[in-house]
Amino acid sequence: MALVVSVSAVVLGSIQAWVAVRSNLPGRKIFSVLAALPLAIPSYVAAYAWIAVVPTFSGFFAAWLLLTVGTAPLVYLAVSAALVRFDAGTEEVAQSLGATRFQVFRKVTWPNIRTAAISGGLLSALYVLSDFGAVSIVRYDTFTRAIYNAYRASFDRNQAAALALVLVLVTVLVLYFESKARGQKFAVGKIANRLGRTDLGPWKTPMFLLLVVLAAVSLLIPLGSLTLWSIQGFAGTDWTQVLEALSNSVLLAVSGGLVTSIAAMTIAVVTIRHRFRVASVLERSVWLTHATPGIVVALSLVFFSNQVAPWIYQTTWLLLIAYLALFLPNALAAVSTPIRQSPKALDEVSSSLGLSAMQTLRKVVLPIAGPGIFAATTLVILTVLKELPATLLLRPTGMETLATRLWTETTVAAFSSAAPYALLLVVLAGFPAWLLNRAIRKDLEPMEMERYQ
Amino acid sequence: MTKSFGDLSILKNLSLDVSSKEFVSVLGSSGSGKTTLLRLIAGFDSPDSGEISISGKTVASADVFVAAQARKVGYVPQDAALFPHLNVFENIAFGLKGLSKEAKVSRVRTLLDLVQMSAFESSDSSSLSGGQKHRVALARALAPEPELILLDEPFSALDAELRGRIRDDVREVLDKTGSTTILVTHDQEEALSIADRVALLRDGNFAQIGNPREIYSSPVDLGVATFLGDSVIVAGVIESGKVVTSLGKLTPLNSSAEGSRGKVAIRPENFYLQPDLNGDSTVVGRQFFGHDAVVDVQTPKQLIRARSSGPFAPEIGMKVTVWVRGAVNFYPEK
Repeated sequence: MALVVSVSAVVLGSIQAWVAVRSNLPGRKIFSVLAALPLAIPSYVAAYAWIAVVPTFSGFFAAWLLLTVGTAPLVYLAVSAALVRFDAGTEEVAQSLGATRFQVFRKVTWPNIRTAAISGGLLSALYVLSDFGAVSIVRYDTFTRAIYNAYRASFDRNQAAALALVLVLVTVLVLYFESKARGQKFAVGKIANRLGRTDLGPWKTPMFLLLVVLAAVSLLIPLGSLTLWSIQGFAGTDWTQVLEALSNSVLLAVSGGLVTSIAAMTIAVVTIRHRFRVASVLERSVWLTHATPGIVVALSLVFFSNQVAPWIYQTTWLLLIAYLALFLPNALAAVSTPIRQSPKALDEVSSSLGLSAMQTLRKVVLPIAGPGIFAATTLVILTVLKELPATLLLRPTGMETLATRLWTETTVAAFSSAAPYALLLVVLAGFPAWLLNRAIRKDLEPMEMERYQ
Repeated sequence: MTKSFGDLSILKNLSLDVSSKEFVSVLGSSGSGKTTLLRLIAGFDSPDSGEISISGKTVASADVFVAAQARKVGYVPQDAALFPHLNVFENIAFGLKGLSKEAKVSRVRTLLDLVQMSAFESSDSSSLSGGQKHRVALARALAPEPELILLDEPFSALDAELRGRIRDDVREVLDKTGSTTILVTHDQEEALSIADRVALLRDGNFAQIGNPREIYSSPVDLGVATFLGDSVIVAGVIESGKVVTSLGKLTPLNSSAEGSRGKVAIRPENFYLQPDLNGDSTVVGRQFFGHDAVVDVQTPKQLIRARSSGPFAPEIGMKVTVWVRGAVNFYPEK
């Protein structure tokens, strides 16, 4: 599944990126937004939305479709970033040296975007390996679903643990290739200002249709289904239940997000400001997130609490620990960018003016990094809000969140009662996270270069 | 003191004494260790061995290390490094402690006036031009009345015209405040024009320390002579107190044993090119700079480069006789 999905995601994501950045297709601006937008819909929500319209939507094809459109944006973002940085002038030079269009692509364009495309494809594979919600809802057995079922059905911990171990090994293998792919860095120039656009000619109509179909599959159908079912189920909705789930979700997300961000900030300040060689450690730890799917973290915490600290089992504390373990690497990456942004020279000037390290942190580093840290914290909170497998396994008995409610209602095919939870998840978590992510990405890169060359 | 990073030794047992109110520039090519030297004095790093004292107080030695914030050393980094979240006033007031609000305001205003930035008191630091940033950075460093000011290539990011003006202004400000200053730079014009003394850093040690004129006109060795400005190197031998070279008999500044062989270094501006139809040398190249010109002359023995006043520089193809004006430095072979 991971293999098939990553290949189709690379093909689709690369086509979308190329069309958005380098072709003259009408409406390419809109398509470029639509291409990244599926990231706003958690994959289990999309799965619910599909199965709610097409009850027979299950098995391999369903999982493939969901995960492909869900992860193609990862490839799209990586490849379009590479394309934007790539100077189209070199293509023109190649053409002037007598290369055909195809040769130009093979010898000039592709080598420059290959790293991004492969790295995006492997990210997609990792996502598939760790995805639990979507594959479970469309009833396709992957490792994560098997682990959950083994654990739920018989409380057979050994089988679940063995499966989890194999999953981690497979993931680590993929990660190894991903880091190797990324190791061959392409030249990161400044954003190329001359972007030649290619006339699609006769391909214009088919390409246009392809992108329309893709947008329909990835966005229109899920969002349409969500809206329809929400309207349909509106009258019968138990609002006290919704409110309870909402407040539980918000409470968990805010506390989990804050704990994680504060931990990340402490680590980032200590390591970055005190000049440990951390760049590689940081990067490695980011991909550790992918290496330990939520279900695996949850399972190991179940074992841990049973063996070592039974009093913590099924408490909010255990859940917070799970969030910390799951999202610390992400949070670390997010907060270290703004903290790194405040240049070392400012610290030195500050200490030469008589301020201690703590005073410098308070008066220089934090004020400069403040907005970035705030954004990073918000992003972590939103990510926790969407989390499903760990919450499902570790929550205190009787505690329901938006995600777990959606899960429970969907597994018993109560589509209309699931609708408000799905809608709330997209509106409160998915969409804001997508916007924030986009804003952060847009801001950071050029600003870092302009303001502190 | 000595400092190495891993196996790479950057500063090798070097020593420098700066008097109170003196302006010393440390001149070195990139990678010579000048920034390391500055960081050690500022307290951002500690030396492997040796001692640093400021105003008689030891701030770094084998068993003492005073942190940067307690050294009272003002620091102006290469890119000014103004705090981006603070305005001009707040930047300058940053290091002022224990003052009443009025005292603080008046101190900052005095400094703003000193660096001619009064009009920008509440400007955003990011809205300033390069030269303005440096003025503010200097005022910020001066604010706590430090014992010593360190300038790290402060003008290298500015364009040529601005550089000259800011340089003069900075010197004036530092004279007014009576500050003791160390500037590091790779720009010899900067080093020579601004400082009371120049310390030439080469291979982790000072090759020569002296006032700018001394350093320029009497380099201690051929390396210094060629590093500081152009020099034409000519072989020569001492005969009855004169250096006999292919450019004639020259007067050495230093006395050497009769018969010793060596080289002389001659500055391009010390050549005089006399137009002479029967001259044995020919002008083969000319670069015109306006105020002056550089002329390449083929003498019977070697190609030399001479500096000549712009409008009167000889044309290519002209026959000339080459004279050397004044005394020269003779460096005997070892």
